[in-house]
Amino acid sequence: MNPSIKFILVFIISLEISLKASLTTNSIVIVCALLYLLWHKISLKDLGLLLTVPLIAAFTIFATLYWFSTKPDHYYAWVLASRVYAYVLSIACVVKTTIAAQLARSFEQNLHLPSKFAYGALAALNIIPRMQMAVKRIRTAAMMRSVYLSFWSPILYFKAILVALSSSENLAQGMESHGYVEGKERSAIIKIPLTSNDWCIFVLILFLFNICLFIFR
Amino acid sequence: MASIKFDHLYFSYKKDDYIVKNLNLTIPNGFSLLIGPTGCGKSTLLKLTAGLYPKYAGHTKGRVITSLSHAMMFQNADEQFTMATPRDEIIFALENLQLNQVEYEGRLKKAVTFTQISRMLDQKISTLSGGEKQRVALAVLVAMDVDLFLLDEPFASCDPEARKFLIEKLGQLRDQGKTIVISDHVFTDYTAVCDRVYEMKNKTITLLDDEEKDALFAAKPLKKVSFALPNKIAQSLFSLNKTEIKQGRTLLMQEQLQLESSKNVLITGPNGVGKTSFFKALTQMIPYSGSLCFHQNEISKLKPRKYLRQVAQIFQAADDQFLKVTVREEIELSKKTRNSFFTDERIAAALKKLQLDSHLDQIVYSLSGGQKKKLQILLMLLGQHEVLLIDEPLSGLDHESIKQVIALMQESQKELHKSFLIISHQVAELADLCDYHLVFEAQKLKYVSEVQA
Repeated sequence: MNPSIKFILVFIISLEISLKASLTTNSIVIVCALLYLLWHKISLKDLGLLLTVPLIAAFTIFATLYWFSTKPDHYYAWVLASRVYAYVLSIACVVKTTIAAQLARSFEQNLHLPSKFAYGALAALNIIPRMQMAVKRIRTAAMMRSVYLSFWSPILYFKAILVALSSSENLAQGMESHGYVEGKERSAIIKIPLTSNDWCIFVLILFLFNICLFIFR
Repeated sequence: MASIKFDHLYFSYKKDDYIVKNLNLTIPNGFSLLIGPTGCGKSTLLKLTAGLYPKYAGHTKGRVITSLSHAMMFQNADEQFTMATPRDEIIFALENLQLNQVEYEGRLKKAVTFTQISRMLDQKISTLSGGEKQRVALAVLVAMDVDLFLLDEPFASCDPEARKFLIEKLGQLRDQGKTIVISDHVFTDYTAVCDRVYEMKNKTITLLDDEEKDALFAAKPLKKVSFALPNKIAQSLFSLNKTEIKQGRTLLMQEQLQLESSKNVLITGPNGVGKTSFFKALTQMIPYSGSLCFHQNEISKLKPRKYLRQVAQIFQAADDQFLKVTVREEIELSKKTRNSFFTDERIAAALKKLQLDSHLDQIVYSLSGGQKKKLQILLMLLGQHEVLLIDEPLSGLDHESIKQVIALMQESQKELHKSFLIISHQVAELADLCDYHLVFEAQKLKYVSEVQA
């Protein structure tokens, strides 16, 4: 499915379930998302992380409403907790089945977003592993000079921000030296197709989803 | 035909502190080499020509005129890629030039065969070595098929073979009618390809005449450089036993190796073979399997805070080493844990020799590439480490600076009996300083006694 369409679909679904409280619909979204992820052969480790990490948020909300609220609302506690999972899993459906470069290209070609936005975001994503490495390097380098930088040390953040700032500046220069000019027309060598099939699936899923939302409490 | 024209050009980062002053020069088509001491403004001039300055920094008066399509390759190989893989980067660049699918395939094939990067086309750029990244950067420019190539010390982290290969390729590009302007500190391999040499000095540029040019390129006869072979190791510093280092692919598989205490070892080997990764394993930055010991203690089990006070590294990228803001503050920080050799007088003398004494209040990040390198090496020599791992200490340094840096290392070593492990391609310069020579090749480290350099 086209990455942009997938993204918009998940966005609308997330928005709608946050407006109407329906435990059944949330559950259907969770089950469908899980099936979709399994169909795309998601690794067991990723699946485990997707199920355990949101548990902290989901359980906190659940516990607050179920046990500690002045007017406990058991149904609403279940709705909010399941909502956390519905968000996480549906977003995972986009993230785990799309490469960032595909999404950026699709945003540019299908949604006609400014290329500056699409590639700026992509470049920022590519920087993340470099930033993680940079933080490790900064801490190691500091220890080599007998300075210990804890995770809340201002020097660590000062250095990390410097790295990020100079990276962003150099990235802009790098893009320009490879022929990028803001606002100039670009061609599409890797085409991201947007077929009528994509639209049909999009409308169909949205239609079924809204019926669920309408019927079930 | 003129390819670049500088017309009464002035440039400064800070008001009235000119780096380029009243420059009037026409650079014709062909292959031009730009030389000059570290920090004289070569990178600045290339960025001015590429149109990146004054857009991103500084102020200009006068004009730079060029009608050729151009692209630039940066000194720091990391900073020029938007995308994750070489293939995606080439696609990105060609989309910017509004090429279609068919043209792309032709250009990709041409660039990949020309620079021989097919092996790494779909590898993540972040996992490539410095020399490989520069090769990819050149491939992007070849794919873009620009008329003017601006190259800022592109071979600083390339091994001699890669360097020779790339310069030959640039010669072929010139023969195809491209214009090439390149800045460099090392002058070997240029004789056959270089048409003109420009020297940057006193904020302006002069063209060297044929005699000066020939003198510059005059090949120093290859010298046989000999190293001793370690015979019986009295006290082992590092010992490897069935050590394996992996980064995507296997880099090192070593049955057995000993490194001796208080000795200096030069490590050479082709680009991407894993020299820097070996240092990373020694400093606990990446994991290894098998055994890797420091004084008979397994490195992975040592507490980093204590271990890294004994074993420190001088990084390839100087910015990584700095913790403070100005040069003076950096020196003060290092003074806190300094060794007995570096008295205040000796530090002052070293700063003067390295020509850093007039930059004490400058922000370290605004120093030129070569100045950063010199400061970085000085800072780390001040410390009390038993071992210094030094990654490409001479890249980006001019001849005079290299001499000063090596002298400083030699003096402090004599008194303190530290061990230096040095990765470098400049064997001849370091031959006096190093006791042994390790060659890293085909996943093995091996002592060798004689090399041509």
